[in-house]
Amino acid sequence: MNSATPRLRYDSLWHLTALGVLTRENMPNTWLPEDVKKPARVALIDTSVAMDHPNLRGAINQKLAFDLFSTRLGAFPGLLGQTCLGELGLGTAQAVVAGLPGCQALLDALDARLGPDQPPCIGTIQPATSSVFSGHGTAIAGLIGARPVVVPMAEAYRDDPRDTTLALPYCGVDPTCEIIPISTNFDTDPEQMILAFLYAERIKADVIVLPRGIPDPFRMQPELYAHDLGGRNLGELTAPCPISDEARALWAELAELIVKISLRRPIVCAAGNENEEYGIYPANLASEDNGVISVGAVNAKGWACSYSPPSGLTVWGPSTDAESFVEGDVRLDMSRHRADTRGVPRENNTARFSHFEIISTDVPGQGGYSASPYDGAEPEDGLREFGSFFCRFGGTSAASAIIGGLLALGRGLGKIPVDADGVDAKAWLLQSCVTPVANQPNVCVPCLDGLGAFPVDSTP
Amino acid sequence: MVDFTILENFQFVVTSHDLELTEREIMPMTSAMSAMRSLALNRNRNRNRNRNRNRNRNRNRNRNRADPFGQADSAILEPWEERARLYALRDEWMDLPVPLPPSLPELRAHALDLLKKQALLSLPQHVGRRDEILVEAELELSRYLRPFGIETHGGYDATISLMLTVMALTDEIGLYYKARWNVPRPNQVEPRLRNFLAAPAHASYPSNHAFQSFALAFVMSRVIPEHPGSGQLFLSARRIAENREWAGVHYACDTAAGHALARMILPVLEKVLQKNMLAAQAEWM
Repeated sequence: MNSATPRLRYDSLWHLTALGVLTRENMPNTWLPEDVKKPARVALIDTSVAMDHPNLRGAINQKLAFDLFSTRLGAFPGLLGQTCLGELGLGTAQAVVAGLPGCQALLDALDARLGPDQPPCIGTIQPATSSVFSGHGTAIAGLIGARPVVVPMAEAYRDDPRDTTLALPYCGVDPTCEIIPISTNFDTDPEQMILAFLYAERIKADVIVLPRGIPDPFRMQPELYAHDLGGRNLGELTAPCPISDEARALWAELAELIVKISLRRPIVCAAGNENEEYGIYPANLASEDNGVISVGAVNAKGWACSYSPPSGLTVWGPSTDAESFVEGDVRLDMSRHRADTRGVPRENNTARFSHFEIISTDVPGQGGYSASPYDGAEPEDGLREFGSFFCRFGGTSAASAIIGGLLALGRGLGKIPVDADGVDAKAWLLQSCVTPVANQPNVCVPCLDGLGAFPVDSTP
Repeated sequence: MVDFTILENFQFVVTSHDLELTEREIMPMTSAMSAMRSLALNRNRNRNRNRNRNRNRNRNRNRNRADPFGQADSAILEPWEERARLYALRDEWMDLPVPLPPSLPELRAHALDLLKKQALLSLPQHVGRRDEILVEAELELSRYLRPFGIETHGGYDATISLMLTVMALTDEIGLYYKARWNVPRPNQVEPRLRNFLAAPAHASYPSNHAFQSFALAFVMSRVIPEHPGSGQLFLSARRIAENREWAGVHYACDTAAGHALARMILPVLEKVLQKNMLAAQAEWM
């Protein structure tokens, strides 16, 4: 987006209007916050989250935030001032590890770790949760459950002495929900992801959001193992390192564990940003008889985003579009500076491209996707700018976060019954779907009111 | 309780170059409201917020400066500031709970695996691995740059500088932990081992190649977690670490300890290298 598109002006919460969550005036559409009897609990398995973001302060359950990035059995970044964990009010996960010996062993270790007399950190290992490098998780958390707030303005940065406060009119899909970040690294390690899911089960999450892939060597590109080359399959031949039988068994158990947990609570997964045929792993575990929800992306015109996987998806959620210049989908931003018409076929999808981008919360100050123009720590008496607190975001990460938030709101409003399992929650989502573009019938977007408001972007 | 009147009265509007904070309607003038109205006049506070967004588009314009001798990318000034910060935080990293090294009988058992690797390494199908081992014997960044696709691309100087700085600091930290346990090298425990590479003069546990490579992977996992290369870098790191086992200079337990130490020390590296990591991150936004 650049100065060549001067007409571009749209509401940062367009995706909530599109989903029927808010009216065009940004008021709750056919619901009230008071209707939420019990706020939904969302487990967010991703990077860490900037828990000090003003729009997220009421949304994040700091006490239960859990970090697996640097500590094998996890650390509690929100309890660093305490000597022991105390009573966390957790449930059990024994039911989901039956028949999974590797997961059972890890659950035993996790259960011991979560005892009330255990310290928040193991020895001298610190959690890897500093706000500065929490961009992705912060954007995801904001899309799910940010709250609109008014904050103080730092005195030294007021253009007018009367500017004592600053409104931050941003809102997630479910501003009543409670988000518990479970932060992870991107190592090719089945153990870490098993522990993350077991913890999500133990905190009794109503919804689990996984806006990332899992680097399971056998399930990321399963087709490699079907190709034989001289008596060995292509997967083994191209693996940088041999995979032990123990690791292989744990990867298989993780896949089973995800499905088992999804039968109890919905697991919302990003489907991938590279037109992967059936979506990335574990989104590609989604099937009619489990609670794994594979989320693709649609743009503000209601068309599937150019990068969204074409098949195997459960639902689509709003997100930022991208240009495409390949056989089958030529979709270009012709208002872009120096847009080039050479080679563009007469029949193309350029009219489907939408400029509308997803806006979400970002790491305040330095770091994240949009940096502050000011160096140094944020002043204690308030904000000095708001630009660094928000960012443009996109991909099926954004779409999955939005759908996760919609499930949380559905749960909070009682549209999904309290005793509903993962399959029931998924069924509610599917029942709420609309087809935003008539001649794209396979793309369905769940909407809170069952109607939605596509297209939000009506520019030609 | 969620205050929807904030959304009723104010709105973030996305424009082609900004996020504007606007009032939805003129409201009765009170002292508080007048403050809000004046804020609306200042709505372009964040005009720089996306200043780095389009950098990637011009990434390859002027650069294909890969030095055929591999020297250009290995030059940074001695990271004295980072070292100073590292030692200011010494209490946070000098006593991390790395597992104790195995006993000598256990090391001898581990060395048996290295003898198998030694036998296999001489076979023709492992010529590629032999080449890798020789290249990786010295500091060489291509294995770390390749997962991100920037081996021959310009505009990533801060990323490369960060990688080199991580290597420099972790080299020193690793030597500290090696000296703590002073574990003998595999060929000292198993004389039948004929190392493909000469064993370095310092102790074996933990493997510094493993520690340094995994530390870099964990750092990049914080800098650009959404990049597919961040996951791939862990595989590169493991390959580099295991190649040291194939070369006969490390046990598998050295690799595991290097990985464990890298994971544990990340929060400290993040504090020490925050400025460097932010500079690297800006190159990808």
